[in-house]
Amino acid sequence: MENIETNENYHFSFKFKNSLPWLIPVFLIVFWQVACNLSWVNETLLPSPIDVVTNGIKLFKKGELQENMSISLYRATAGLLIGGGLGFILGFINGVSRRARLLFDSTIQMLRNIPHLALIPLIILWLGIGESAKISLVALGCLFPMYINTYHGITSVDPKLIEMGKSYELSKKDLFIKVIFPGALPTILMGVRYALGVMWTTLIVAETISASSGIGYMSTNAEQFMDMKTIVLCILIYALLGKLSDFIAKNLEDIFLEWRAIERRNTDASETSGDK
Amino acid sequence: MPQKLLEISKVGKSYGNSVILSDANLVINEGEFIALVGMSGGGKSTLLRMLAGLEETSAGSIIQDGNKIHGLNKEARVMFQEDRLLPWMNVIDNVLLDKKGKQAVSEATELLEQVELEQYAKQFPSQLSGGQRQRVALARALMSHPRLLLLDEPLGALDALTRTKMQDLIRKVCQDKAITTFLVTHDINEAVRMADRIAIIKNGTIWRIVDNPYRGKESLIDKEKEVEISEEILAEILD
Amino acid sequence: MKNLKKSFIAILLLFWCGIAVYGWHLTREDAGSSSLKNVVLGYQAGDEFYISKIRGQFVKKMKAKGYNVKFKEFQNGAAMMQALASGNVDYARVGDTPPVSALASGTKLTYVAAGGTKAKGSGILIHKNSSIKTLADLKGKKVAYTKGTSSQYMLLRALKVAGLSNDDITWVNLDSDAASVAYSKGKVDAWANWDPSVAQVEITENSKLLVDGTTTKALNRSFIVSPTTYASKNKTLSKLIIKYTEQDMKWANKNHSKLIKKMSADLKLSKKVVRRSVTRRTFSMKAMSKSVVKEEQEIANVFYDNNILTKKIDVSKHVQYLK
Ligand SMILES: Nc1ncnc2c1ncn2[C@@H]1O[C@H](COP(=O)(O)OP(=O)(O)O)[C@@H](O)[C@H]1O
Ligand SMILES: [Mg+2]
Repeated sequence: MENIETNENYHFSFKFKNSLPWLIPVFLIVFWQVACNLSWVNETLLPSPIDVVTNGIKLFKKGELQENMSISLYRATAGLLIGGGLGFILGFINGVSRRARLLFDSTIQMLRNIPHLALIPLIILWLGIGESAKISLVALGCLFPMYINTYHGITSVDPKLIEMGKSYELSKKDLFIKVIFPGALPTILMGVRYALGVMWTTLIVAETISASSGIGYMSTNAEQFMDMKTIVLCILIYALLGKLSDFIAKNLEDIFLEWRAIERRNTDASETSGDK
Repeated sequence: MPQKLLEISKVGKSYGNSVILSDANLVINEGEFIALVGMSGGGKSTLLRMLAGLEETSAGSIIQDGNKIHGLNKEARVMFQEDRLLPWMNVIDNVLLDKKGKQAVSEATELLEQVELEQYAKQFPSQLSGGQRQRVALARALMSHPRLLLLDEPLGALDALTRTKMQDLIRKVCQDKAITTFLVTHDINEAVRMADRIAIIKNGTIWRIVDNPYRGKESLIDKEKEVEISEEILAEILD
Repeated sequence: MKNLKKSFIAILLLFWCGIAVYGWHLTREDAGSSSLKNVVLGYQAGDEFYISKIRGQFVKKMKAKGYNVKFKEFQNGAAMMQALASGNVDYARVGDTPPVSALASGTKLTYVAAGGTKAKGSGILIHKNSSIKTLADLKGKKVAYTKGTSSQYMLLRALKVAGLSNDDITWVNLDSDAASVAYSKGKVDAWANWDPSVAQVEITENSKLLVDGTTTKALNRSFIVSPTTYASKNKTLSKLIIKYTEQDMKWANKNHSKLIKKMSADLKLSKKVVRRSVTRRTFSMKAMSKSVVKEEQEIANVFYDNNILTKKIDVSKHVQYLK
């Protein structure tokens, strides 16, 4: 009997815990709506959440919203795949080959320190103002976090495990698949998560380069005409897309790094309970 | 007349100016269990790594089956002081490593039974205790059917009770499979409990080799002899 | 539980990719057909090319002549000049200042056509209840402008007309968003600006123009410019563009209500604002003439004299008189 009760308590607190992260955003939105209703803020400077949402629905019915969102998503994804992929390959090559490291690494480190947004004029001159320019910019942004994390992940795999693999006669391929890559994966996935963040911030800027579509365009276009509802809508969309990609990244970590979660759960247990 | 598996002759090793081993000589016979004891930092691991081919000799030679060991010794498998299990693979995958197929899986399961871990096959290493992990490492080493098993203080980090159990288990498995075993340890009692012969490393060379015919016998007299040998070895090392 | 999570994330990723592919299709749609010669026109919302774009006749007529027209929207003239310099835009519809700055920075461009002015919708905005009553009252006041745009020229001209020196006012360089906030909060006393923003501020902020382009002679005229090599090779095309744009301008002048409706939806401005800005200008697009070249030369001179440009420019060397 008592047992059941504590169980229920546990369930309750579990659910409560789940909703805790949403508490502040929900409170802020409610407060914001109330503030608008009571005219504490100037509606032309900050429209109410309901206005923003109705504006969103209006744009959705016109087809503008979903078209711009899909175009943005396309640019973001293409940039991430190209830049992230390139970063991964470079990081991998430099992580594995000493000679490649000597040849490339310091150059890459040097380029890394250039803020990629500073390259906008160059990119316009080289690639124009079409899709390729925007995608390249996003790719450039995603390249470095992926490169650094892949490189760092691969070079910091426990050398003792690598030695074990070699002494157990693993082929080069197996050594990579079974030892080096899984060992580097946590750091690589961290790079993915970081790249996803950079992807969105770069995209906003990229879409102000003579875009005629995309969320960034919607926002800068609205900005020109002080259309606050659309501006706020775009900001909210960015927040949601950012949150969504973070959610995906986190879940990818959970799926691919199940062993780490188990490890964390067990470190304390094995320390206290001794040998089984 | 025991068959000779491996001969260490006049082996020297130095890192830069520091000489770790000089003129070490030892013969390891087929099927025997030999222990190497000595002070910490005395070059035990270094010698073991040279037997495994993980380290090159600076002088002298290690001959196995008439061939000088150069590069990885493919007939040998090492069990390191740390278990060196891959934390992202479950127990059975750790044992299998790169081996595939039904045959391999059933063999790995059998080995896990021998080290009494069959019910842990799908667990991750982090869910196991230190002793269990070392048993997985043992199964993994045995999976490749080595002729020579090299143990580098594999029980060093375990508590006393688990150690004793593990010593008996390892000894038994190696004897059953007739695997030549080379055990590096700083624990003289462990060496006496497990090995047929005990080599003492001192001053960068194999100082003495002590026979241990009383090992594992039931009688009290043999137990006393064991203690005697331990004390003799200790005196030898500290001398 | 874990499998549930796996399939959920897999579906989410599939969805993501599906939408991205759809987005890719959308960007491909306006890639155009191949047998026609592509012409890229750069425009800003609300301008002459914009009218041609929304009316829709222009593209059809050009297609009949063997040209595939692509419109590219820009947020400001400077960005358009950059695209023009890199050859990504064949014809750019800009205000009167960006081409001058571009010429000074070495861009090889040619003036192809001149449009109407926004003289009545360009000037210095003040609040109706402001203490500033005459141009001379600007003395000691803070005035917002945006560097390198027509507003800078307007302000220079206004000071000249008022007989004030450049140091008599505080110059506050702000981009249009920042300026709009600063102006409505009273952080600046006046704002040099142009339509449709001026019309918007006049209506929503109870403001008026202290002085407009008819007095300052900062007319804020429209131009079509083209990369010099392109212009010299495509005179027939340029003439076609002028001809068809002018037809659209005539339509625009006659069909205010249709234009206002469409513009207010696209620019997200109230009809009242759009009506005001549209009715006080006359749309046109003509080949270059000596008199508009003189206007441009004046801008170049004033900017040079005020150290805004470091190079003296002879505008007449960059003009095509197409007849
Ligand atoms: N790679 C190396 N470079 C330099 N010195 C080393 C290296 N490996 C081992 N040594 C040194 O060799 C000596 C013997 O080491 P080791 O064989 O590990 O001793 P033991 O296993 O008997 O404790 C130690 O002093 C150690 O510092
Ligand atoms: Mg050692």
